[in-house]
Amino acid sequence: MSYELVAGLETHIELSTKTKIFCQCTTEFGGEPNTHCCPICMGMPGTLPKLNKRVVEYAVKAGLATNCKIRNVSKMDRKNYVYPDLSKAYQISQFDKPICYEGYIKLSSGKNININRIHIEEDAGKLVHERGDTYIDYNRGGVPLIEIVTEPDLRSIEEVVEYIEKLRLIMKYIGVSDVKMQEGSLRCDVNISVRKKGEEKLGTRTEIKNMNSLNFIAKAMEYEFDRHVDILESGGKIEQETRRYDSDLNITESMRGKEDADDYRYFRDPDLVNIDVSEEEINRYRDSLPQLPDKKSDVFINEYGLPKDDAELLIKYKKIAEYFEEASKDIKNKKLVSNYILSQVFRRLPTDAEKEECSISIPPQYLNELISLTESKKITSSMASSALEQMLDSGKPVREFISEKDMQGIDEDALREICIRAVNENQEAVESYLGGKEKAFKSIIGYIMKETKGKADPIKSAEIVKEIIRGS
Amino acid sequence: MSKIKYIQNLMETKQISCVELTEKYLNSIEKQNAVLNAYVNVTGLEALKTAKAVDEKIAQGQKLMPLEGIPMSLKDNISTKNIETTCCSKMLKGYYPIFDATVWEILKKQNSVLLGKTNMDEFAMGSSCETSCFGVTLNPVNTEYVAGGSSGGAAASVAGNMAVFGLGSDTGGSIRQPAGFCGLVGFKPTYGTVSRYGVVAYASSLDQVGSITDSVEDASIVYDSLSVYDPKDSTSVGSKISTRDKLNNSIKGLKIGIADEFFEGIQEDIKKSIQDAIKVYEESGAEIIHFEMPKLKTILPVYFIISCAEASSNLGRFDGIRYGYKTNSYRDINEMICKTRSEGFGKEVKRRIMLGTYVLSSGYYDAYYKKAQNLRGSIIQDFKNIFEKCDVILTPSVPVTAFRKGEALRDPIETYMMDICTVPVNIAGLPAVSVPCGFDKGNMPVGMQIIGNSFEDYKVLNAAYQYEMKTKASDKEVLL
Amino acid sequence: MISKEEVLKIAKLAKLSAEDGEIEQLTLDMSKIIEYADTINASAEDEIVEFDNINSIENAFNEDIVLESYDRDEILKNREGGENGYFVVRKSLRG
Repeated sequence: MSYELVAGLETHIELSTKTKIFCQCTTEFGGEPNTHCCPICMGMPGTLPKLNKRVVEYAVKAGLATNCKIRNVSKMDRKNYVYPDLSKAYQISQFDKPICYEGYIKLSSGKNININRIHIEEDAGKLVHERGDTYIDYNRGGVPLIEIVTEPDLRSIEEVVEYIEKLRLIMKYIGVSDVKMQEGSLRCDVNISVRKKGEEKLGTRTEIKNMNSLNFIAKAMEYEFDRHVDILESGGKIEQETRRYDSDLNITESMRGKEDADDYRYFRDPDLVNIDVSEEEINRYRDSLPQLPDKKSDVFINEYGLPKDDAELLIKYKKIAEYFEEASKDIKNKKLVSNYILSQVFRRLPTDAEKEECSISIPPQYLNELISLTESKKITSSMASSALEQMLDSGKPVREFISEKDMQGIDEDALREICIRAVNENQEAVESYLGGKEKAFKSIIGYIMKETKGKADPIKSAEIVKEIIRGS
Repeated sequence: MSKIKYIQNLMETKQISCVELTEKYLNSIEKQNAVLNAYVNVTGLEALKTAKAVDEKIAQGQKLMPLEGIPMSLKDNISTKNIETTCCSKMLKGYYPIFDATVWEILKKQNSVLLGKTNMDEFAMGSSCETSCFGVTLNPVNTEYVAGGSSGGAAASVAGNMAVFGLGSDTGGSIRQPAGFCGLVGFKPTYGTVSRYGVVAYASSLDQVGSITDSVEDASIVYDSLSVYDPKDSTSVGSKISTRDKLNNSIKGLKIGIADEFFEGIQEDIKKSIQDAIKVYEESGAEIIHFEMPKLKTILPVYFIISCAEASSNLGRFDGIRYGYKTNSYRDINEMICKTRSEGFGKEVKRRIMLGTYVLSSGYYDAYYKKAQNLRGSIIQDFKNIFEKCDVILTPSVPVTAFRKGEALRDPIETYMMDICTVPVNIAGLPAVSVPCGFDKGNMPVGMQIIGNSFEDYKVLNAAYQYEMKTKASDKEVLL
Repeated sequence: MISKEEVLKIAKLAKLSAEDGEIEQLTLDMSKIIEYADTINASAEDEIVEFDNINSIENAFNEDIVLESYDRDEILKNREGGENGYFVVRKSLRG
């Protein structure tokens, strides 16, 4: 009996605005408890909310970058429930008129994962439990969030992971969030159900919360899929509920202890007014978006001729992609640029974080210059490689390490002389080579490179050496 | 005649100092408050400090701002930094706001002298101050009767000569009804012209801050100072039209709308007083236009549904965790919250929270809340149509005059029905004033209400002022 | 007529507890008031005029500029300074 996994995702993304959604307290991460608060985000009696303009801008941009329709007139609603981390006993959110709707993210397979809606809402404070007592810090209360809800279009754990990675990358590119799962600025809840392959009807779904890494999401889904299948196979019924992933035990457990099916009594918040976004504004936001990862990938692969994996690696880090673009301006063979970046430069940025930061010691213009010179054959590739190391070490441009004189290269006659010398000094190698040992040839070239301090063109040298050997 | 103007003149001509004036009012409070129970908190030291500063200003020959040096009171749901603000509920006894309401900030900047915070129905839910945790407020005109509510304390403070003006809040009539009961002028401005920031919310789309004074000119002076755009309040618009310079506009040709529906079931002697007032207007050249308001009776349940729904949500935050009352024994957080709320809130408040929760709950939302909001839309449209034909509307303020203690709480529906004239005003966000227009058989004051179109506060006050001029009250002796 | 079960359900949502004695009266009161509220359904459906906010204001916004937050002492003032900067709710409390 083959079962199919069906999943939908609800992703909460913390927007990287400077201030909270309804007051002007800072959204800075960290900070001593309750030091980023004011009467408004504390929900003190008599206070009133006022919407941060940039939240609307970021929400619209997120919608445009995911192919959503933008609602010209939307409103804010109250979602009423009582919990210690919610200072007003209601969360201001959007219920039936979310600001963005009907979008999609395309996976590498070409399949679209449809986005039902993106809406704006406020975050709650943080609870810390210690020996049964509850400690509350409201710093995070009022931080702006967007919630992105997909249709149940996902069919495998791989698709889920890819969707999240693509979503993350898009949000990073448009600069609305730093989407760090470990810091909580990206949170995913997964709705999962199973059904027999070929079946059209959806199975009963469960929601899994509390997975703060892609790895945990994958593990949790695996566990939950198996759990559903086990229950169905033994003739049982899946209970629709919210479950919590426990990363230590690698299981999901029911959260039935929490409020069961709260009735949120949504109604329009009378303290806030309509959000009106004109077509003109939407167009302005659309025009201000940077080139998105998928389009960039397209250009890198189809226009620049980069191999797919290389392109993916560059695009994974927005700043690296931009560095690459700057460095490859007017360069014919852009693969050359990406090779250098992916090898020598990346070696200087061993961690993901460092690659995100892209704190390379030389500006892209310096790399551009180096490769220009290589393309115009003023310097050889081995000269370039070693110069690059020196440039990365010092932060200085190529001309600090390769003089004009060096750039003149070696003229053909001088090269021929060196090649003849090489053949004469390496008779054993020549004989080895003639006897079929390819490797021996390399040592002859190595000798030439050493003698010329890397200035000789290895390809040209090989040609000449072969000629000499054949001739003799 | 304007008490504010009169008093400022006395101070400016050094006939009385602000400190002396303030002391007189504080003495008046000391003598009467034990019986009247208008004030729940007297801020004598604060008041004298401000008065002293005003005297220094006068000594330097500086001109006074419109409300400078004027002894006044604030309803206890208006946040005053570091001064206890209780909303007359056990839930907020001992609560000290860490910020000021915008309206108080404005008055503070003008050095108005805060005498204290006044009594109200708990969280403004009621019409007699009988739900206050501090007990009822009596009517200074006749202490056998109540002062009304929910701004009963504000009304009694002015009627009892314990303040020159009092600020209150009005959600369904809470300024106009007590003003009417106490023979005073109670003005509720157009929704959005006076900031709500810092006023503890009852029903956000209906609440407005207004004044209780003994003259229309004073109401106008207060309004002109308070009707400023407040960036902290998203629903704030402020007003660019000052009202004081238009009080003397001629009312010849003023079109006054009258609808029979407002007069159904009201006390006969009230009807007579209003009819006399209509005659005064007619004699002044105003034109009486009859119109119909068939939806009047449905406005009350619409009001009830909307106000309870919003209140149930606004009051959710009182859970004992961050401020206010907290129960002293519980077995877990949920119990802590439930017990805190059940012990901290009074019966009427709990009832309205329950009702509000009900009308918003799944399965009932469409039938009640959604329907009520749609009806609200059509009522607003109805008023727009009426104001195409009329400049203002005239109605009684309340179907009855002040009642005795205990009379009001018998039947909830009957109590709510008393708001029939005042509630439509809040539903539509219109400006309205209650002006004294006579007395009933028992010599208790009768109030008439003048309603205007949105942002035509000046028309409302102008019409009221002209009536006041033509009848007596303009020469009310200023008791000091 | 609202049932006692419904009243209890609403009380749970509203985080209110009612003593057994109170529930009877509360159920009666609520029934009466809801019956009264029902009268809005008598009104004809002729015109449904969409209502969003009274003065049809839109786009009331703050700029994304940081203002200094309140001192923690002020924030915790009404809870006697809290504990280590946090608001605390003890697991349970015996009166």
